[in-house]
Amino acid sequence: MAQELHSKRAPVSLIGLAAAIVLFPVLTQNPYYLNVANIIGLNTIVVVGLNLLIGYAGQISLGHAAFYGLGAYISGVLTVTYNVSPWIALLSAVCVTALLAMLIGIPTLKLHGHYLVMATLGFNLIINIIMVQWDSVTGGPSGFPGIPNLSVGQWSFDSDRKMYYLIWGVVFVAIVLALNLVRSRPGRALRALHGSELAAGCFGVDTKSYKVKIFVLSAIYASLAGSLYAHYLTFISPKTFDIFFSVELVTMVIVGGMGSIWGVLFGTIFLTSLPNVLHFFDEYKDIIYGLILVLILIFMPQGVGVAIREKWWKRGASEGPADAARGLVASGRSESASVERAKDGAAGVAPLAVGDSKPILRIRNVSLNFGGLMALADVSCDIPDGAITALIGPNGAGKTTMINVISGIHRRHRGRLFFGETETRGLNPHQMAKMGMARTFQNVELFDHMTVLENVMVGMHAGTRNEFLHSLFRLPGFTREERLIEGRAWEVLAFVGLASKGLFPAFGLSFGEQKRLEIARALVTAPRLVLLDEPVAGLNMTESLEIAGLIKKIRSQGISVLLVEHDMNVVMKISDKIIVLNFGTKIAEGQPEEIQRNEQVLSAYLGGVA
Amino acid sequence: MSSETQLAQFIISGITTGSIYALIALGFCIIHNATGIVNFAQVDFVSLGGLMMYTLLLSLGLPLILSFALAVLTVTAVGALVERLAIRPARSRAVIVLIFITIGASIFMRGGFKVLWGKNQMALPHFSGESPLVILGAAVLPQSLWILFITLAVVGLLHFFFSRTRIGKAIRATSYNPRAAALMGVNVNRMILFSFALSGALGAVAGIIIVPITTLSYEIGVMLGLKGFAAAVLGGYGNSIGAVIGGLLLGVLESLGAGLISSTYKDVMAFAILVTVLFVKPSGLLGYGDSERR
Repeated sequence: MAQELHSKRAPVSLIGLAAAIVLFPVLTQNPYYLNVANIIGLNTIVVVGLNLLIGYAGQISLGHAAFYGLGAYISGVLTVTYNVSPWIALLSAVCVTALLAMLIGIPTLKLHGHYLVMATLGFNLIINIIMVQWDSVTGGPSGFPGIPNLSVGQWSFDSDRKMYYLIWGVVFVAIVLALNLVRSRPGRALRALHGSELAAGCFGVDTKSYKVKIFVLSAIYASLAGSLYAHYLTFISPKTFDIFFSVELVTMVIVGGMGSIWGVLFGTIFLTSLPNVLHFFDEYKDIIYGLILVLILIFMPQGVGVAIREKWWKRGASEGPADAARGLVASGRSESASVERAKDGAAGVAPLAVGDSKPILRIRNVSLNFGGLMALADVSCDIPDGAITALIGPNGAGKTTMINVISGIHRRHRGRLFFGETETRGLNPHQMAKMGMARTFQNVELFDHMTVLENVMVGMHAGTRNEFLHSLFRLPGFTREERLIEGRAWEVLAFVGLASKGLFPAFGLSFGEQKRLEIARALVTAPRLVLLDEPVAGLNMTESLEIAGLIKKIRSQGISVLLVEHDMNVVMKISDKIIVLNFGTKIAEGQPEEIQRNEQVLSAYLGGVA
Repeated sequence: MSSETQLAQFIISGITTGSIYALIALGFCIIHNATGIVNFAQVDFVSLGGLMMYTLLLSLGLPLILSFALAVLTVTAVGALVERLAIRPARSRAVIVLIFITIGASIFMRGGFKVLWGKNQMALPHFSGESPLVILGAAVLPQSLWILFITLAVVGLLHFFFSRTRIGKAIRATSYNPRAAALMGVNVNRMILFSFALSGALGAVAGIIIVPITTLSYEIGVMLGLKGFAAAVLGGYGNSIGAVIGGLLLGVLESLGAGLISSTYKDVMAFAILVTVLFVKPSGLLGYGDSERR
């Protein structure tokens, strides 16, 4: 799943697209080509919407032919039978379709798994049968003729050429809006949820509602294209909107490349014109079409469009550092400020004496059992404010379980937790995130196919506000918030030392860099407490020391740290306080020197008789 | 005709088509459990069964039983070929991609059928005459009894296969946990191949036995197949017992709906049930099948 890179290239591509749209009818006078181009345009509108659903929400719909058909039939019937103005008919169709999409989407998208594809398949078949059978209204299997052309005042869109400009104008707007959405807070959230639903949830992404919204949006795109189709051809029949067309539409997305708007534009052009080309083969055309489809999917499963683009990405990635440098200049002031602060911290602040100030987190009698297995048994302890606390213990001691309880992933524990003055019972991870707690994961949970910068930007999801409408139409305030998010993300990347990698895809980072990126994503939420789950596991000595330095730097910013770690070198060197768990119970707590001398701890680690 | 006999009539015809849905649903389940995908080429296995039967029985004049066996064998081989040529070489294991490969294979096969058998409607003779028997006051075609009998036999055989034979158990092991099965020495790829072959056989049987009481065309399997899919979802996608129950129930509900409510919207019935199940109890009547238990 790749996606459009940074916004700087977009205007160039869009200008190219606009030029191609304007020039095409000048270059060809053949009405047949214009006709094919118009059908391609209509399909593109549907497919661009569908791609948002498939490529960004990871859900498939086999019902988009039905939404397309609903647009066409509602427009046709309202204008012909009820003499409604085409523009009002078009709007009515959009409303009805959006409503139906919502009704289908809400119950099926709240579930994990591919329920939407089954429900939309059924929906498409039902709508299609109704189009055929309800002949008093729809004209039945023979179709519905006599739909008027669209017109503005006296001026009517009555030729292929006029319709060409209208349809491709809409295509252009549809693509611009889709790009706007992709490069925005909800767009990043959707891609993030595709990469790691767990991590996306922890940073405050309301995954269900986003999935429904994007499904409805894609249905609106389809309905709009359907209305245009009806007014363009002036005749519609049920056959056009059957389940096979839904399949073709999804095929265009997959062959073009899921998640790539330019890829699917290519997929649509290719697969829409293919039958016209294959016409030449007459009765063999289905065989050839099927064969081409299978071969592309076998050998280029990421889609032809993306296969081509990925080569481009590789070239683009080597330009990355230059771009990154430019980004740094933009946020240079704040970056140097944070570096200054960091220096101060490293030099000036002495390790805190434990118990000096009020604890940031108080854990009281927490127990949790997993089907009879006591993962945590009556643990109580305080996590001091502004200090580094380490939670250690042999494998299976309950350390990660404790982190999961604290961050709200496990909520069925007994006992009480207080974050500052607030009891956190029943709060889920993203509510915890809002209160100022952030975390990293033992098994790195990055959004692999997003850039390093975007990963950090998703971290700010909970604290920011841009939603669908803001993002689609770039409403006032949108850009200000985007700049704020991006600036802050660069700042934090500089803090963890990843600024030069900002525009690389996250999957390209070394393991040590990935760990640092996770820390950056946690820090960007401006937390009061960060939970680091094994930040140096799997790293070599140099990398470990770098991370240890980074953790001290975090403390110097006044942020409390709770870390789970096996690497005793690091733990003993940086911790202000250590808590030791064994078999779910706390067996010791204190400063590093005390812990090192503690009999019980030694026997737990060395396997002596306790 | 009294309303009771009418009801009996609807139920019997419902069970007849329901048996077909059950066989097709079983084919969907077997492949789902082995691979996690929906195999849309299942639809064409059904068509091909009927088409092969037509060629062997009528064009070549082979005896009924031999034609039946050869037709099933052919489609079994085609099922295996779909796996071997389209699924196994795929560079991506993503479910979405594999599903659309089966869709591509389906388009390819249907295109081939159209070339080989033409677009015309064809008819196959009933297995043993067309004079209806009267059971409980309802007229029953002998072909319906054949359908019931053969479906029962197939379900019984499948049960035996999956619970008693080495290969059957290996296929089940693969569906529970492919990696563990592979570590135990099960050739997972081969089990997936067998699953496709078996689904081919099931589709073929369904096509062969239903075609005498419908008509035959190159795309006869499409509507039947999609309803078989709905039946599988109704029973709990991937659950074999659910597939049989879902198939029979769907057949009966559809037949009652067509008889008592409106025959115009007969085909809507199955898909309305599909959508309702997904909204109300998405795991189906008996819950999801093996491989979804995570």
